Order: sequence, then structure tokens, then C-alpha cells
Amino acid sequence: MHHVLVIGAGTMGTVHAKSYAAMKNVELVGIVDLRGERGRELAAETNTQWFASYDEAMEKLERVDIIDVCLPTYLHKTYVQKAADAGKHVICEKPLARSKEEAQSIVDYCHEKNVKLFVGHVLRFFPEYEKSRQLVNDGTIGNVGVARTFRGGIFPTAWNDWYADYKNSGGLVLDMIIHDFDFLRWCFGDVERVYAKSLLGRGFARIDYALVTLRFKSGMIAHVEGSWAHEGFSMKMELAGSEGIIQYDSAKEKPLIAVNRAKQAGMGGVAVPESPLRENPYFRELKHFIDCIENDLQPRVTVEDAVKAVEIARAALESIETGKPVTLV
Amino acid sequence: MKLGIISVAHMHAYSYANAIGKLAGVQLVGVADEDEARGKEAAEKWGVPFYHDYRELLAADVDAVIITSENAKHHEHTVAAAKAGKHILCEKPLATTLAAAQEMIEICREQGVILQTAFPVRFHPAVVRAKQLVEQGKVGRIMAIRGTNRGQNPGGWFVDPAKSGGGAVIDHTVHVVDLMRWFMGVEVREVYAEVDSKFSPTPIDDCGILTMEFENGVFATLDCSWSRNKTFPVWGDVTMEIIGTEGTISLDAFSQKLDVYSNDKGLKWVNWGDDMDSQLVSDFVASVREKKAPSVTGEDGMRAVEVALAAYQSAESKQPVVIR
Ligand SMILES: NC(=O)c1ccc[n+]([C@@H]2O[C@H](COP(=O)([O-])OP(=O)(O)OC[C@H]3O[C@@H](n4cnc5c(N)ncnc54)[C@H](O)[C@@H]3O)[C@@H](O)[C@H]2O)c1
Repeated sequence: MHHVLVIGAGTMGTVHAKSYAAMKNVELVGIVDLRGERGRELAAETNTQWFASYDEAMEKLERVDIIDVCLPTYLHKTYVQKAADAGKHVICEKPLARSKEEAQSIVDYCHEKNVKLFVGHVLRFFPEYEKSRQLVNDGTIGNVGVARTFRGGIFPTAWNDWYADYKNSGGLVLDMIIHDFDFLRWCFGDVERVYAKSLLGRGFARIDYALVTLRFKSGMIAHVEGSWAHEGFSMKMELAGSEGIIQYDSAKEKPLIAVNRAKQAGMGGVAVPESPLRENPYFRELKHFIDCIENDLQPRVTVEDAVKAVEIARAALESIETGKPVTLV
Repeated sequence: MKLGIISVAHMHAYSYANAIGKLAGVQLVGVADEDEARGKEAAEKWGVPFYHDYRELLAADVDAVIITSENAKHHEHTVAAAKAGKHILCEKPLATTLAAAQEMIEICREQGVILQTAFPVRFHPAVVRAKQLVEQGKVGRIMAIRGTNRGQNPGGWFVDPAKSGGGAVIDHTVHVVDLMRWFMGVEVREVYAEVDSKFSPTPIDDCGILTMEFENGVFATLDCSWSRNKTFPVWGDVTMEIIGTEGTISLDAFSQKLDVYSNDKGLKWVNWGDDMDSQLVSDFVASVREKKAPSVTGEDGMRAVEVALAAYQSAESKQPVVIR
């Protein structure tokens, strides 16, 4: 039985806690959150206890094996280090940190303390993305020349509006389209050059939109689009190869739609689309990490991958700031 | 009004001829082509005289010409037509160098003939509507645009730089750049591009992502790749995602289609939208008739070419290229 403590009961903490609660080989021993009401609510839902602070939880809990950090990005370093100090394995949400240096220091710290570190680049566990990579590797579409991705929706709302503080969250490029950077690196290897534009620094509040061009060492070109300027979340991907094309658009793949008939004239009914899977991607990711701990396996997402993803995002941000392409070493 | 066609090298010659056939009071009176086989075949199909030498066509009783020759010949054909006093509808890209484009524009001005660049997408009803929505302020102020104009590798002279001036970048940059300029009424200030040859057997640029910054501070990207393969359900696309302060517009010009599944061809999209080429031709004819300035000018054609050429330069230097 793996005893897991989840820190943070926000959007991701909720997803993680619910996943652990459903795992047979995991005992969710507690949830830490500053916000008592939210913490208690989630603890009740997942049949565990709430703690007001990390220290309180570690003091009171008899046994903790794994600490799962679902805190705002700027707090990752502090809490991963605390966990490493306590000799616990760590699962941390992406992005690992705000800069390559910060990310590397976290990795080094965990290495020194001899604890395992896993970073939640969950796109690698989305079956549609996994399958696309498989098809590429199988040669189904030949050599990929141009890849295009989209990820976006509305500006995120969260505790303390921390996403709006770009120093802390890294904004759209570091927080959101890092998923696509990581996925593309997983499929196509390292990136050589990055050029990007976004609304950053152009005087617009609570809205962002970024268009990033990546040139891979393999020569492949990728166009990564991110948006906090659209209504409703969606993600898209297109891989165009010499022998074929793979396309995916989450807005079009809706195996199930439940619609409430409008009760009043003039009021639209609400459609709730779902794409049910026996195990959702977050569950699959966390299950894989637990398995890696249990059986001492190399994870699908390594710490190096997590650092590289931050590096690409940072290069894009640098390009946005300077207006120049950034070459990665 | 009597119209001639100079060269059927570009496949659009066929849809333009078709469009002429549908217009009242307009007559196609001849086809010139240095390639006798393809020229004669087209002339026979349309039941008009064939001229081996375009100068003979220009000497005939013709009011205006449509130039659908290989890109690198637009200049020669336009200059000759202008000097013969004929109005001109010239296929895009207007020219393969800026100097050539400039000269074409000047000569047409001097000779007092119309020079219109064939940008048919401006006549697509969804594009016209999108522009209207932008002008009505439906999305507020435009902040960014994401565009694509992808297609299949057309092969033939298109992949011979001496005739085409380049591959996908010059072929597929101009349409959507023209739309972006047209929607916003400003020019491109700076261009960055990643360009490569990834899909074709011939060594020609067949994929590219351009990033542009406009004079009004709007940034945009454009995918001009010939990345549609044989089995893709349609030859290509024209899309724009317009990000404004108050909302977004998604334009997918060729999405008025039927999904057709045939045993023979698999899935193909059959378009049922309005034909933009005939709109383009009838607009040109109207300008000639009413002796008014063309709705899409030679200058428009040149500005779009300018961006494509800057993209090549940027890809070469791996640095953004400042146009103005
Ligand atoms: N993998 C994904 O798909 C995905 C999606 C969203 C967010 N994320 C990442 O997950 C992380 C968390 O994001 P979120 O959207 O869940 O944020 P959130 O704001 O919804 O949740 C953060 C929670 O942490 C609590 N908190 C803050 N400081 C604390 C402290 N010192 N001790 C205890 N609790 C504290 C807050 O009360 C809040 O409940 C971020 O790194 C984010 O980038 C990943």
C-alpha cells in the first residue's frame, strides 16, 4: 500500500485526489490546503483527512510514502524540497518550475536526497496523443514535415488569481502549451530553434494568445498555438507527413453529449459533452508513476524531459520578449 | 467585351474561361500559349482561335486579357499587354521579384490600363462576411491572426524555381497575406519564417511557417505548406482565426462541403459553396466596363509578393526581416 499525501486541493489537487482514491494499491492519507472549506470538502469526497499545512500533516500522519504537489507553480520548488528532505518520493504537477535553472535545481535536489521525482506531463497519457505517436513511430504517415497543435480556452481562474501573475505562473506559454512542447519533443526529439509571438507585454489584461514556431533538430517544423482568448476548452493536433496526415480535434470528437432541454423560451439548453474512458489520462499517469515507484522503473516522463519542456517554454518567452529567434544548446 | 487568355499554364485559366462563358456581354476571343499542345487543346475546348505567339493575340481585337502563364512570365506578358493597351487580370503571385512587380504596375499606370491581381479568395462570401464582421467591430480590436493556406504540391512548372520563383512559400503566402492586409488596411512590417523541403521528391520549398508583425502591432502566422497528401479529402484550405479584444472569428473558407465516400476515392469533400473564380472575373469585367480602379490592385499583388520574398530571406538568414 502506497501512502500518498496530496498538497493543494485546487483544480489539479482534486483530479489527483480522486484518482488516488480509486486506486487499490494506494491509500490517500490526507489533503493539505490553506483553504479549510475547500480542503474539507475534497477530503470528505475522497474519504480522507484535511490538513491546514504541510507541516501539520507530516507531524500528525503516521505514514507517508509519496507526496503529490498540486500547488501553484511558484511553490513547487519549496514543497518538492520539503518532501525530499523528508525522504519521500515526489509527484509534481507540470510545469516543474518557472525557469530551467529552478527546474534543474529541483531535479538535483531530489537526486541528492535520493528520492524519485515524477512530473505530470499528462499529455503523454492521453490515448489520442499516445496513439498518434505510435502511428508516427509505425511509419503510418511517413516522415513528419509539419506539426500543428492548439490548446486553449478561457483565462484560467484559480486560488488567489495566481495564473494572472505571470512571474508566478509563466502565463500561457509556460503553463499551458508546455504540454504540447513536451508531447512534440516526445515524438520528434529535441528542439533547435524557437520563435514566438504573444500578447504578453502588449497591454492586454486577462487575455493571452501565443503562436510559437519550433524547429526541431530533425528538421521538422512545428506550429504551437495557445489561447487564453477563446470560449470553452479544446485541443487540436495535426501531424503532416510525407505519406499521410493525422488530425485530432477535441471539439469534434464527442462520443457522448447530454443536452438539457430549455425550460424557458429564449433560454438555450446546456450541452455537456463527455469523452468517457475506463481510466482517464490523469489516472493512467498517476498509476504509471506509482508503478514506477513500486517496481523501480524508468517513467515515461523523465525529470530531464520536464526540464527540457521548461527550457523550450522559456526560449519561447525570451523570443516573445526580444523579437528574435532563440537557439537552444 | 472581348477577352483573351495568355497561357493556360496555370490551372485557374480553366475556371476563368468557364466564368467568362457565364457572363453576359463578354466573349472569350482567343488563347495564346507557347506550348502548342496544351494551348490548342484549351482553345478547341472553348471553341476559340489559338495563337502560338501571344503578340498575335494582343494585336487582335481584344479589350482585356487574363494572364495565367508561369509566374516568372507574368512580367513579360503584362508589359506587352499594357503596351498594347489591354486591361489585365494577372494570376497570383503577381511577379517573382519586387522590381518586376513594380515595373508592371508602373507600365500599366502609364498606359492607362487596369492591372488587377487575381486574389479570388477576396470574393468568397465567408471571407467577405468575416471582413464585414471585423468592420462592424464584432471582435473589437484585432490582436492576432492565425492563418493557413495549405495545399497539395501542384508539381509541373510549380516546382521549377526558374518558372515559379519558388515553391510553397511564394505560391501559398500571397492569398492569406492579402486577406490580412485587406482586413486591417495595414502593411506587414516584419517577417520571420521557417522553410523547408519535406514532402516532395523535388528539392523545392514545400513547407513553411511565417510569423508576421503588422504596422498596427498585430502579429500573425501563416502555414503555406504543400502538406496535403493524395488521400486528404480536399486539395487544400484557407483558414483564419482572428483574435480580437471582444471575441474571435474562425474562418474556414472551404468548409461548405459534403463528405462523399466512394469506393473509388475513399472520403472526399465536395464543395457546394459559391464559386469565387467567377466572382473575381465578373468583378474584373465590371471594372473594365465602368473604367474604374480595380478592387484588387497590382500594388496589392506586389505587397503580398514582398512578404513571400522576405520569408525566403528570413529562412535563409534565420533572422526576422524588416520590410518597413
Ligand atoms: N496537468 C494539467 O493538465 C494541469 C492543469 C491545471 C493546472 N496544472 C498545474 O497544477 C498546479 C496547480 O494548479 P491548479 O490549477 O490546481 O491551481 P489552484 O489554484 O486551483 O489550486 C492551488 C491550491 O493550492 C492551495 N494552496 C496555495 N498555497 C498553499 C500552501 N502553501 N499550502 C497548502 N495549500 C496551498 C490553494 O488554496 C489552492 O486550493 C500548477 O502547477 C498548474 O500549472 C496542471
